[in-house]
Amino acid sequence: MKEKNVKKDIRSWLDERSGLSAVFRFLREKKIPQHKHSLWYYTGSAILLFFGIQVITGFMLVFYYSPTLEEANSSVARIMTEVPLGWIIRSVHSWSASFMIAFVFIHLLSIWITKAYRKPRELTWMSGVFLLILSLLFGFTGYLLPWDDLSLSATKVGTDIPRSIPVLGVWVTKFLRGGEDVTGDTLTRFFGFHVCILPLFLLALLVVHVYLIQKQGMSLPLDLERKEEKVKELPFWPNFVYREMIVWLVLIGILFTVSIFFPPSLDKAADLMAPAPEGIKPEWYFLFLFQMLKIFPAKILFMNGDTLAVLLILLGGIAFFFLPLIDNKPAERKGKIITVIAYLFIIYVVGMSVWSLL
Amino acid sequence: MTAKKKCMALFLLIVLLHSFVLLKIDFAQQAEQEKTETTQEEVSEKIVPGPQGIKESTGIYVFITWVWLAILVLVYFLRLKIKEVDRLLEIRFLSEKKK
Repeated sequence: MKEKNVKKDIRSWLDERSGLSAVFRFLREKKIPQHKHSLWYYTGSAILLFFGIQVITGFMLVFYYSPTLEEANSSVARIMTEVPLGWIIRSVHSWSASFMIAFVFIHLLSIWITKAYRKPRELTWMSGVFLLILSLLFGFTGYLLPWDDLSLSATKVGTDIPRSIPVLGVWVTKFLRGGEDVTGDTLTRFFGFHVCILPLFLLALLVVHVYLIQKQGMSLPLDLERKEEKVKELPFWPNFVYREMIVWLVLIGILFTVSIFFPPSLDKAADLMAPAPEGIKPEWYFLFLFQMLKIFPAKILFMNGDTLAVLLILLGGIAFFFLPLIDNKPAERKGKIITVIAYLFIIYVVGMSVWSLL
Repeated sequence: MTAKKKCMALFLLIVLLHSFVLLKIDFAQQAEQEKTETTQEEVSEKIVPGPQGIKESTGIYVFITWVWLAILVLVYFLRLKIKEVDRLLEIRFLSEKKK
């Protein structure tokens, strides 16, 4: 009895100062619609899971990693060979990054196909696209940190791409590299982006994104909304959370399994004066862009092929960002055409990525 | 859960376990192949991570087996909990209690 009172006192003391009971009340009353597309609701929380794993393993790695030209490669080698279970931590970090980006893609594509970005969720979509860009930047900056031949060459190619953008291009390349070429300064700069600047932006955007989702509630598929039928709902707590826990457990199991059996290797330290090795390839999520740039002819009419390709990618990115405004009549013909474009985009990305690997 | 869903879950579980075993075999074969194929020079240049020594590799395999066993047990208990909370939802136990 006395113990119960102590617990109650602590809870009311905390609640008086933090107002947490309102949050718990909100979560208890939150409802998740149940329909044939409900599976996609789990992708958002999977992204959060992998992001959490990234943060924890990132903290562990940063204790041993040294972001200098002389020590970057050897410190990663030390993590992999001397630090107890260091290779598993690095492998989990690397694989969870891949899983996270894969789930961000799946999440956004599912929203595109189910048209969950329609009014009033335009801002939720836009913040989600920003989160995708930040995730890709995380991957790009993290790729250089082991400082081996492959990562150096891939970064040289990657940071050279913005150069084709008219007016701003050269400046962007210089800003990314911290000079004319990829050097030790680039490494330190990328490390700063990877562990400080990007996490801050990502956390801020994540808060906005999650707030918008809570404010607007879960979206219903278009056909169900138009029928105006009553949809079965599941309480978020505990019914949906228990289901989410199962998904998380299975994903954690898969992540551990692939991390242990397929850990990323490490090449010898990069030599700034050495020529680029053969067969350089970016991470899998950049393969379709890489292949697109590769197959573009050097000159198209009066324009430089690279410039045209980069401008096309930029234009595509802008259209993707403003998709909810472009697809403002999702139930009509225009909306159906945009759904077909979504499927074509998936085929294009997969096709180009496979082509790049052949 | 319907019989169809149960069959599906069982099938997935078998596939998962089967792929786990295959992965294990593949990993062992790969490690063996790498050991014989790579020259001493390449070894000093490229670090291929993995368990070092029989003790560490056994430890890793035992660990991953325990991870999956723990997951299976937890999933089993979570499914029981889900059944229970869904039943309470169906009989509107919580909303009645609130009133």
